[in-house]
Amino acid sequence: MSAPRVRRRRHRILIPVLLSALVVITTLVTHAIDQPNQTDAGFLSPLSTGDDGGSRLAAGLAERGVQVRRETDTLAALRAARSGPATLFVPAPQLLHPQTVDDLNLLPGHTRLVLVDPPRRVLDAAGMPLRPAGRRWAARAVAPHLTGPCALPEVTGATAAVARQRYAPTGPPGSVDLCYSAGLARLPGAAENVVVGASDPFRNGRIGEWDNELFATALLATTGRVLWLDLDGPAPPPPTPSTVRTTPPSEPDGGPYDEPDDDQGDPGAGDSTETTPAAPPGGNASGSGGPGREQTSNPLWSAFPPWFWALLAQLVLAALLIAVARARRFGPPTPEPLPVTVPAAETVFGRARLYHQAKAHQSAAEVLRAAAKDRLGRRLHLPADTPDVAAVVAAETGEHPDTVRDLLHGDAPDTDQELLELAKDLDRTARDPRPSPVRPPLPRSEGDPR
Amino acid sequence: MTWRAAALLAVGALTLPAWPAPFVGVAVMTGVVLLLCALDFGLAAPLRGLTAERDGDRSVRLGETATVTVQLHNASGRTLHAQIRDAWVPSAGAQPDVPPDRVVHVPAGDVAALPSRLTPTRRGDRPAVALTVRSLGPLGLAFRQRTGRPPTPPWTLRVLPRFDSRRHLPEKLSRLRVIDGTQVGQGRGAGTEFDTLHEYVPGDDVRSIDWRASARRAEVLVRTWRPERDRRLVCVLDTGRTSAVLLGDEPRLDASIDAALLLTALAARAGDRVDVLAADAVSRASIGGAERPAQWPRLAHALAPLQPALVETDFQLIAGELLRRHRPRSLVVLLTSLEPGALGSGLLPVLPRLAARHRVLVAAAQDPVLTALTSTPPRHPRDAYNAAAAWRTLAERDRLTAALARYDVAVVDVPAPRLAPALADTYLRLKATGRL
Repeated sequence: MSAPRVRRRRHRILIPVLLSALVVITTLVTHAIDQPNQTDAGFLSPLSTGDDGGSRLAAGLAERGVQVRRETDTLAALRAARSGPATLFVPAPQLLHPQTVDDLNLLPGHTRLVLVDPPRRVLDAAGMPLRPAGRRWAARAVAPHLTGPCALPEVTGATAAVARQRYAPTGPPGSVDLCYSAGLARLPGAAENVVVGASDPFRNGRIGEWDNELFATALLATTGRVLWLDLDGPAPPPPTPSTVRTTPPSEPDGGPYDEPDDDQGDPGAGDSTETTPAAPPGGNASGSGGPGREQTSNPLWSAFPPWFWALLAQLVLAALLIAVARARRFGPPTPEPLPVTVPAAETVFGRARLYHQAKAHQSAAEVLRAAAKDRLGRRLHLPADTPDVAAVVAAETGEHPDTVRDLLHGDAPDTDQELLELAKDLDRTARDPRPSPVRPPLPRSEGDPR
Repeated sequence: MTWRAAALLAVGALTLPAWPAPFVGVAVMTGVVLLLCALDFGLAAPLRGLTAERDGDRSVRLGETATVTVQLHNASGRTLHAQIRDAWVPSAGAQPDVPPDRVVHVPAGDVAALPSRLTPTRRGDRPAVALTVRSLGPLGLAFRQRTGRPPTPPWTLRVLPRFDSRRHLPEKLSRLRVIDGTQVGQGRGAGTEFDTLHEYVPGDDVRSIDWRASARRAEVLVRTWRPERDRRLVCVLDTGRTSAVLLGDEPRLDASIDAALLLTALAARAGDRVDVLAADAVSRASIGGAERPAQWPRLAHALAPLQPALVETDFQLIAGELLRRHRPRSLVVLLTSLEPGALGSGLLPVLPRLAARHRVLVAAAQDPVLTALTSTPPRHPRDAYNAAAAWRTLAERDRLTAALARYDVAVVDVPAPRLAPALADTYLRLKATGRL
């Protein structure tokens, strides 16, 4: 009977714990799926029409008459920014190559750089006096002037879901303007840098909420030309300084290729001519890294001296020798047949469980009463056919005869609790008040035949 | 191949940066290590020239420690450097004086003694399983080892029962001497067997006057009696399923063996002839004629390897054996359990024939759990049900005892630790009253 109860008690603890664990895991998984990653394919690309894409934003900008030019190479985008006032929109700064981040400082005046949720390394490498200060679980829609006046007049009145990553200035006061309760940071200068803490206002899935569309288009439309840096994967390293210096003269003639809208997407065609000196075509960023490496053998081999690999091989051989040495066992294991044993009173406990499961209150009570009468008869030296045991017992113990009679001959109990009460009373009545050296089950007929 | 070869290779690996061509170095060093291993293997003492023998204790009482020594004789021409493992069954509790991982050096033609101390944890026969010799080369890089070489010398240590009840023996023997009348000076003892005639002195029991002898002589003669001697006693040990029940931490069979040993020690001292029979579905052991105290150890040896078997005891077989082999009237002591199922269907049908020829005594060790269940006040409904089941078992046992008593069968039913003295007391009482 005890085993199922223990199991039930275990369930009582386990089920809530498992349920809460399930809820927590579901939340985490849903959140992970819901929050897009900057490294995902098609994240905030003007060509992508998915929830994480930026096609609606590109269309909205085109409606305002803003020229949108999609760039898939960082250097090409930087070069294009030199040709006039432009807004360089970097929706995935995480993908920027560390060496090209420095070049973001070199943008000419009248250029606005918009970074969406840049990681700390990008902020540090670009020399921005900003540091990330707390991140919300999800983006919150706030008004621009919530914590103070906002230095961006174009977004006035646009309540947008900007506050996810918050920023704090690290430089002197006045070097940074914070809007949207520190979710947006503007760094004035020759080239104006704007850091937005959430990608939600730009994404297709969220652009329709609040004033997100107004905010996004207003932020990007100030210069009339948007250079949209759409990286498909981690950007390749920039070419060596010598090639960088040699390329600018060669490229302006082949380079500018407008992509006013996303529907005429032919990304590789324009870029292939520009970037040939540095690396193979940048239409596929991850593919561009591959062929260069495959020309030689795995660089890991040359990363360490040959003796290192020889040492590793010899240590593997030594480990093999240890295995060979340990494999031979020192004599066989020694088996031994164990003697059979049966637990004490196995059948008695089995019968007790049967009584319990069958709720045999009546049978159990009969047995207990008969045993108690037997014990009392032996204790009080009554003949076997005493007509009224109860009266004698009552005289002995001083209780009322009817109480004792009810105890010995009363109704059968109906519940476990009543049976327990009966068993307790019988035990108390039948127990010898004087402590006796002989335990209740007397050694029967020790020796003498009956 | 040992760990030393691997260590050598690993240490050699540290010199690799200094090699002009590291991979050639790997090949050279591996080759050298393997060559050294082969050399070492060739130089190790051959196992063929080894012989092993054992001597030491053949038997030990449970709880005491025996010593068995392996004599390893190195008849090969080389010095033997060897690790030796002498494996016994786990319950033998073997503790070798030379641990298996220590290297023993035996010069050519010499003998190494490798004692093991055995403290067995169980009664019965504890065999030695395997002797393994790992003959190492002089460098310790490689070894020779082969199963069955040298052949394992067989050895079995017989672990005798603990015989805790031997502390009762002096007391029971002194009571026996009182009954015998040899120690206490109250004249000759009581009994039914004629001893001598002597002249009547005032104070003698007038009922003992031998009138026929007095008529032949001038004086009044009195007979003296002594307890019967040269009676027969048969101890029957039930090794069936009921003997496997654990009473405390020992099976019931151990309590029965303990009681049988005390009884036979006592009876042999009293001059009775004791036979012991152990049986379940088949006869497990039969020891006849432990008449003299010197033969008692033989009995302990014979009872030591008995183990309970999970089969129903065949009382038909036991009764047949008793009736066939023991013609004269004997005291049959049945060491079993008072279980209505086993005895009711097995013993009761054959009891009339048995009781007609012999005097039967049933001795059973009680389960201490039953006592605990019926004597503690119940606290939980489960306790009430347990108590009901226990009382019911006791009632059935009472009915069985009554049924046995109808055939003039005495019953000794006491908790396990008191079984041996209680049985001895019963035996002494029967002897004193001349009812053997």
